[in-house]
Formats: sequence, C-alpha cells, structure tokens
Amino acid sequence: MQLRKRNKVNGISLSTSEKVISVISYIFMGLLALCAILPILHVVSKSFSSASAVTSGSVLFWPVKPQFETMKYVLEETPFLNALKNSLLVTGIGTVISMLVTIGTAYPLSKPDFKGRKFFIMAYIVSMVFFGGIVPAYMVVRTLKIIDTYIALILPFFIVHFNMFVVKNYFEGLPESVEESARIDGASDMRILVSIVCPMSKPVLATVAMLYAVNYWNNYFHAMMYTTSTKMQTLQVFIYNTINNTQTLVERLVIGNYTNVSIDGIIAAVVVLSLIPIVALYPFVQRFMVHGITIGSVKG
Amino acid sequence: MKNITARLRPGIKPRKPYGLLAYLRDHYLLYLMLIPGLFFLIVYKFLPLYGITIAFKDYSIFAGSNPIDAIAKSPWVGFKHFDRLFSSSQFVKVLLNTLIINGYKILFLFPIPIICAIMLNEIRNVAYRKLAQTAIYVPYFFSWVIVFGIFYSLLGTYGIVNSALAALGQERISFFSDTNVFRGLLVFTEGWKEIGWNTVIYLAAITAIDPTLYEAARVDGAGKLRQIWNITLPGLAPTIVLMLILKVGYILETGFEQILVFYNATVYDVADVIQTYVYRMGLGQADFSLGTALGLFNSVVAFILIVGANTVCKKLLHRSIW
Repeated sequence: MQLRKRNKVNGISLSTSEKVISVISYIFMGLLALCAILPILHVVSKSFSSASAVTSGSVLFWPVKPQFETMKYVLEETPFLNALKNSLLVTGIGTVISMLVTIGTAYPLSKPDFKGRKFFIMAYIVSMVFFGGIVPAYMVVRTLKIIDTYIALILPFFIVHFNMFVVKNYFEGLPESVEESARIDGASDMRILVSIVCPMSKPVLATVAMLYAVNYWNNYFHAMMYTTSTKMQTLQVFIYNTINNTQTLVERLVIGNYTNVSIDGIIAAVVVLSLIPIVALYPFVQRFMVHGITIGSVKG
Repeated sequence: MKNITARLRPGIKPRKPYGLLAYLRDHYLLYLMLIPGLFFLIVYKFLPLYGITIAFKDYSIFAGSNPIDAIAKSPWVGFKHFDRLFSSSQFVKVLLNTLIINGYKILFLFPIPIICAIMLNEIRNVAYRKLAQTAIYVPYFFSWVIVFGIFYSLLGTYGIVNSALAALGQERISFFSDTNVFRGLLVFTEGWKEIGWNTVIYLAAITAIDPTLYEAARVDGAGKLRQIWNITLPGLAPTIVLMLILKVGYILETGFEQILVFYNATVYDVADVIQTYVYRMGLGQADFSLGTALGLFNSVVAFILIVGANTVCKKLLHRSIW
C-alpha cells in the first residue's frame, strides 16, 4: 500500500529492482524482528505454563494450561527478591556515584587552560589501554577487605574511561562564551558546572547514566568474583546459579511438594522476572541510547 | 576584555602573566573534583600494575599481612612461570581459540548490520520501520546470563528446538556440550545480542548522509542499487572502517563474559579463551603467578593492538578512539 502511494506522489514508476529491494527489505527486517522477539515470548510463555506442558516441549509462544505457581515458587522459595534488592541498590547507588565522579573528572579536563590537563588525561589513557590483569585486581580488592560488600560491586565501574571521555568531549564542544559571561558575573567553577554546563549537556549525561546503569545491572563477572555469600548475590549471579544448579532445585521441588512446577519453568520464570525492570525502562533507554549514538558518531 | 578574547582564541596568550599559584587559588575546586577519579585510578588501575610482579615471583597469598604485602614478601623467580606457560599445550590452545572464535564473529557477523541498516533505510512505512528497529535491538540490553537463560530454554535438552527435532524423528543436539556446535552457538548468540544495536549505529550514519545526493542521483537516472553502491556505502565507509578497527583492536577483550557464562568443562577444548583460562587458573585453581603471567601476555598484546588500532584510526579517519 505504502509503496503504491509513493509511486503516485513521485509520478515515476518504481523499477523492478527497486521493488525487489523494497520487498526483500520488508520481509527480511520483519523476520529479524521476529528472531529478536519470539525467543523472549517463548520464555515468558514457559514461565506461565503447567509443568507437564513445559517438560513435554509443547509450549511455543503462548502459555499452555496457564498457572502462576512457578512465579510463586521463585518469589517465595528462592533468594530472588534478595538478589533483586542487591542489584537495584548497586545499580542505583553505583550510577549516581559514577555520574558524579565522571562529571567531576570530565569538567576540569575539558578546559583547555587547565593546568596539568595533559598529565591527567595521559593517566587516564594509560590506565585505559593497559590493564593489570584479573589476578592483581582481585588481590587489590582482597587487600582492601571489601570482598562480599557493595563497595566491591561498585568499584570496578566507579569511572568508566570511555564514558568519561565522551562527557569530556561533549563539554569541550559547548560554546565558551556562555561560561565566560557567567564568570564575569562572578560565578565560581562549581556554580558554572552545576547551573550552566550540566543543564546544557543533559542529553549526553542521560546517555552516559544509562550506560553506567546497564553496566552495573548486567555485570556478572565482577559480581561473581567479588561476592561469596548468598546474601550478597546480585541478580545475574543468582540466575546463573539457578540455571547451573538444577539438582538442588529438583530436591527442593520434591520436598516442597510443588507438583505443577518444572525446572525449565523455573529457569524461564527467573529470566522473565529479571527482564521486567529492563522492559519497564525500555522506552526511556531507547530514547537516550539512540540519541547517544548520534552524539557518539559526531563526537567519538 | 583582553582576557576574554584570549580565552576565546586559545592561540593568543593573555597580556597579564597568570602564575601557577594564582591559578590554583582561583581554581582549586577543579582539582578537588578530580580526586575521587584519581583515587580510583590509583587503587584499581595503578596498584594492579604493581601486582603484575606476581608473574615474576613464586607468589603465596599468605606470605604477608595482606595479599598486596605478600607480593613484596614472595621470592623472585624470573621467567619461570612464563616458561611454564609458553611450553604448555594449553597456551597455544587458548590463544588459537581466542583468535578463531573472534575471527568467526568478525567474518560472519560484521557485514550483517551494514546490510540490515541499508534495508531498514529502504523501508518507507514509518510505523513498520520504527517497530522493526525497536524490536531488533531489545536483546542488546540483556546481560549474557539472561541471553544464556533464554537460549537454554530454546536449545536445552528439552528445549523447543530439540523437541521439534525429536518430533521429526531426528536426534537431539546438545548445543551446550557438543564441541562441533559450541563455537557456532557462541557466534549465533553474539549475533542475536549485538546485530540490532550495530544496525542502529549504521542507520544513524546513513541518516547523516546528505539527501540531496540521492536527489541528484535520481535525476541522473540512477536506480536503487546504484544509489546504494555509489552513495550509501561510501557514506558509511568511515563508520565501517572505524567499527572494524575497533573490533580488531579489542579482539582479545571481547567475548570473555559470554564464554564464561556459556561454557562448561565438556567444551573447554573449543571454547577456552585467554581470559577464561586466566580466570580459571589464576583464581579458580589459585595458580596466581601463572594467571598473572598469562594476563600480562594478554595485556601486552591488547595494548599493542589497541594503540595500533588508534594509529590506523588517526591516519585513515583523522580521529582518535579516545
């Protein structure tokens, strides 16, 4: 329909090759979109389907003999809620801290006449391109005696060099004249940063905050390495352990007399529950991340 | 007023000499702001650099009052652990696995987002395009653990794919433990997670192309394929080159968390990469010195690759990665 409409407007007929390209594009991109969405739909369906339907493999993209027992089991019988709390706290606190540190670092380094600028930038570049390694980093964290604390979960992303450079480059691109007129009015560096530079940089700051939040929320490796107790488990560690320790799940199912709950159902339910925050924030994420790409492609 | 002009034009020095002390007095806040970040650099980035000496020592974690103190108290052994590392067959294996897996990923996955972006751009129905675009990059925001959970649901022994195979009278495939398909699984899941996002990156670059170029081409009678070949692709070239350079530059870094989550002992032969081996040896089996030695090897090669990538980037595209 759309194609025909356009033809009329232009008054030129589409050549065959154009039609073919257009049709292929519609079909191929539609299929790709389905490839991205259907697996998610499948997991959601599984988490609400009866145990027999899940184990017999008859669940496709819609719940079969719907039930809520699996969800109830995950919420009540597993440490899911505790893991969720840990992830929310680490992501929330971590993102705020990281943003403050990132802005505080990017601002001085964005000033061309800042004394010592080259030295500090060099320190950041050096530590970005040369990594001490997993083992030495672990030894530092152990020496600090912060294993199994929130601090150890925040430390690795305290400031992500790449994010800092994105913010710094953006600050550098802001017109100097605005800042200069505020300075003549007697505003301090801090005041200029808070009431002029930051408000002018809202889009890039929102994007970088998003990048930090995704980092904290999704991180598995550091969370696994730096926590030992179940109490400090983050969501990712909890999900990984759930998928890989099905034996304990079986035992608990038998003891708890959950007849309509299956292992694969539990795994699906755990995945689905942890997707909720991401899906809930998706419109927001989408707006700023796509914006961020444009910033990234212009500024690098 | 002179001062302002000087600031606006960095080339011209202000007339009144502005000493370091006066500058520090006026702008001490700027230095205070830097402290938290520098604290992090020293603790989490530079202190581990000192920890690299673990590779040249017989490190015992209990030799000192704490793990860092223990480094100083452990005896030097020179290149002993490097000899051990380079003479082991494991080293060659993980090095090859790293190159093969990432090579496959670049070979099979790199061109797809470019094609997708061009196709997406050909879709005239705005609602359809927006919907497709929004859908394809949803997986980008999932962690590797979530992706693992989803694919476990699809490809596990009793997953949807194996159920279908069984229904068709075929043998079930153990995607997570069959050494013949595991690398394919890594490449496929990487594609599932990343293609959509990379497509959006290329799409952003396409939108930046001057539309009058297409206008002119149309007037000259150029067909769609011609336009794609002569306008879209050249317009995308800098982005393509940049992405490829970044991919190659970070070849040792990427894929670590994915493999750590997906693999298990049955597929170590085909999936164990440098970083996973460092982790398993260095922390899992407490062979700290060997883990540090391999980690150092990894860091040095990564350093050369990244600095090399940046040099190429500067030469070709006149921009720096950082």
